[in-house]
Amino acid sequence: MHGEYKMPGGKLVVVDLEVRDGRFADVQLSGDFFLEPDSALEAINRALEGQSEHADEAALAASVRDALATDVMMYGISPEAIAVAVRRALHKEPAA
Amino acid sequence: MMRTDWRDHDWQLIHTAPQSPTLHMALDDVLTHEVGAGRRAPTLRIWEWAAPAVVIGRFQSLRNEVDGAAAQRHGIEVVRRVSGGGAMFIEPGNTITYSIYAPQSLVKGLSFQEAYAFFDAWVLEALGELGIKAWYQPLNDITSEGGKIAGAAQVHRGGAVLHHVTMAYDIDAAKMLDVLRIGREKLSDKGTVSAAKRVDPLRSQTGLPREAVIERMVATFRRLHGLSDDDLSAEELAQAEALALGKFGSPAWLADVA
Repeated sequence: MHGEYKMPGGKLVVVDLEVRDGRFADVQLSGDFFLEPDSALEAINRALEGQSEHADEAALAASVRDALATDVMMYGISPEAIAVAVRRALHKEPAA
Repeated sequence: MMRTDWRDHDWQLIHTAPQSPTLHMALDDVLTHEVGAGRRAPTLRIWEWAAPAVVIGRFQSLRNEVDGAAAQRHGIEVVRRVSGGGAMFIEPGNTITYSIYAPQSLVKGLSFQEAYAFFDAWVLEALGELGIKAWYQPLNDITSEGGKIAGAAQVHRGGAVLHHVTMAYDIDAAKMLDVLRIGREKLSDKGTVSAAKRVDPLRSQTGLPREAVIERMVATFRRLHGLSDDDLSAEELAQAEALALGKFGSPAWLADVA
């Protein structure tokens, strides 16, 4: 499943994932945002892996934020924007 | 760390013969590291391309961004760079690309948004001298009345910041759209692309050959910030060639975000 979200004032945030037994699997975040250090990408993928497909946006954003070290720099992307892209992947919402 | 100014540094220019796409990726990695380690003075590098390429951003999905079959059909190499941001479609002569390798002190205390605009202020001035009214469009674009001119990306590493920019000189938009998968969500950004056969803001708005535009840009940088002519050291080149072969030419790096 595939969801895209152009963060207002930010960049394109894309999430590809599967749902197995009601939980996220094979989560892959991608896009044209800026994220440092680059290892934070894997940390975000891991934070979303195994989450319930019923988790709401606030819970998903909190999981992402909790997984990030304090020195991570985000530009054009945010935990909230990632959560929106996840929900769009699940709902197959048309791109805005 | 004190904030420094452009003139506090002894800026060096590197503008060599055309190089391969993977070597360009590696040179950005090596030179950022060398400036961060204090072994190289802050440097402006102008890129010349030996071959066509699609350069995808650090976090872009290879399969979502690039039509691999189309790239192969056109003989276009696909490479992944160290910085975030979007895909660039390069054919020798169709863009102007440069990198600035600077100490982080130059942008100390600036927000990301301010730092992007700061690094390209000299370019806006050069474009003004060439008769193009251009401005910074956050987060990371240079734009003009004739449309988007350039996209920038930054990476911070070990005391240094890499700021690199690709400017559209004269792009074959049909070929670009054949190779890049530009989705609906993204097209809002590149809306002018679908209607045009060519994306040529620099060529059409200056009426100058690409080499002349580069010459004027370098002259502006030199006047504003000071600039000495330099070359890659043998050691820098050897390091970059090893990285180009090992890391940046490897399928694992290219598909790191599949």
